[in-house]
Amino acid sequence: MRPWQQSRELLALGGCAVIMAAIFVADTLTQYAVAVAVFYTLVILAAVRWLAARTVVALAGVSVSLTVLSFCLTPHGDYELGMINSGISILAIAVTTYLALKMAVAQTAAQQAQAQLLRLARISSLGELTASIAHEVNQPLAAIVTSGNACQRWLAQEPPNLDKAQQALARMLGDADRASNIVLRVRGLTKRELPRKIAFDLNVAVQEIVALSDSELERYGISLSLSLDPAMPWVLADRVQIQQVIGNLLLNAMESLAARPEGSREISIVSAGAGRDSATLSIADSGIGLPAGVGDGLFEAFWTSKDGGIGLGLTISRNIIEANSGMIRAEAAPGGGAVFTFSVPVTKAVPA
Amino acid sequence: MTHLPIVYVVDDDDSMRAALADLLASVNLQARCFSSTRQFLDSYNDEAPACLVLDVRMPGQSGLDFHRQMAGLGLRLPTVFISGHGDIATGVQAMKNGAIEFLTKPFRDQELLDAIQNGIETDRTRRVEESMRAALYDRWNSLSAGEQDVVRLVVCGLLNKQVADQLHVSEITVKVRRASAMRKLETETLTDLVRLAQKLGM
Repeated sequence: MRPWQQSRELLALGGCAVIMAAIFVADTLTQYAVAVAVFYTLVILAAVRWLAARTVVALAGVSVSLTVLSFCLTPHGDYELGMINSGISILAIAVTTYLALKMAVAQTAAQQAQAQLLRLARISSLGELTASIAHEVNQPLAAIVTSGNACQRWLAQEPPNLDKAQQALARMLGDADRASNIVLRVRGLTKRELPRKIAFDLNVAVQEIVALSDSELERYGISLSLSLDPAMPWVLADRVQIQQVIGNLLLNAMESLAARPEGSREISIVSAGAGRDSATLSIADSGIGLPAGVGDGLFEAFWTSKDGGIGLGLTISRNIIEANSGMIRAEAAPGGGAVFTFSVPVTKAVPA
Repeated sequence: MTHLPIVYVVDDDDSMRAALADLLASVNLQARCFSSTRQFLDSYNDEAPACLVLDVRMPGQSGLDFHRQMAGLGLRLPTVFISGHGDIATGVQAMKNGAIEFLTKPFRDQELLDAIQNGIETDRTRRVEESMRAALYDRWNSLSAGEQDVVRLVVCGLLNKQVADQLHVSEITVKVRRASAMRKLETETLTDLVRLAQKLGM
């Protein structure tokens, strides 16, 4: 444990002790009828935020003991009423402790789940993967360029050194093979396992991804409008994969807005599907739009308009959507910018 | 002192090393290639004017880290960085640490060769200066203690008579020692002597 954390815990523990002592004094001095002991629950509620579960349980034990002790020491008042009050206080302390601890556990679990989801959604942005693939492909390419330069120089000599030029060419061929093998490996990467299809609410899946991106949207001054079909049937697809696609499309949309001045950065997400065989989700942005004439080339591997991008996000997105029996397409948005729309099949049976 | 220059290449990529060695050979530069900074250190000695071509990203010690340590190891080899990632931050860092060039792979061969030529020239100048200084110290050390005392005072602007007073010797002795010191130091005039003393850091 780090020292500052330790000292913070000690501080919290000290604070609890002071308050408990105050409650104890008040409880002892007042009549039986005044149930000051109930306030120990406040100490427990505060303690659960700062201290370990074991310490909280110990504090609860001390609170109960102090309640009993106060009861014994209190000199005046209705004895029977005091008995009942103390009993209720002890019960309240016990129940509060139990609920507070359960709540803390649930909160930790929720935080972990959120982090996991964020990670999954962000894999689609492929930041780290991109950097390492780019490096891998660049190495043989750089070697090819250098060998090519050397080859030119051998040939330019008088007389040309053909042996050396030959050797340089052989190296270039070898490196070209190496580069192409790396590309093959990357293709293999984008082939997914069979999706694990379940029925789920697409609207909720969208909202989860939007919630994860909230801080980024705010940071870049992007206004987001959500228009989700209230009568949306559940869809049948791999929920995590679909969320990856949504995350990726949203990220692309946000990045395409970077060149726009703040105030005109808009993204709108529309879902529809009531009464149809497939549900659609559209993500439209007011960004730079699609290059003219690119068409479906957009989804080809290694097509990118971003500096430093490698052009796999959309390829992977299309692979995922097609593996989930859906379709994805890109169009120019009416007011400039781009709209990406994908569809996934809906399911008739909605599990309870 | 007419050693042929050497280009040291440290890159973990086999093809890149082979390609660089070949490119350098095509312009009559001899290259010595290593796959890690450790291998390079084991083999390097300051035998000829040289330049180091260093890859930034390598398993084990990165080129950047190694470059930072070089001064501490007594290596003053001019360094050209070659990097797979052309990120600005790394480039700035490298130049701040005294690299002479930072090139992003793939790079234009002429840029690399120019940088290497510059590096070799810088190193050649350094080596000449160092050997001249070493020769100078040799000459200085060939002076007797008495002669060194006389020179120290003379270059401060003292006259022979004053030097004699300070050292409690006769003026004749000072004159003899002074003449002998100037002969040994291969200087003809007082100005030469003063200049030489400056180079010796007096």
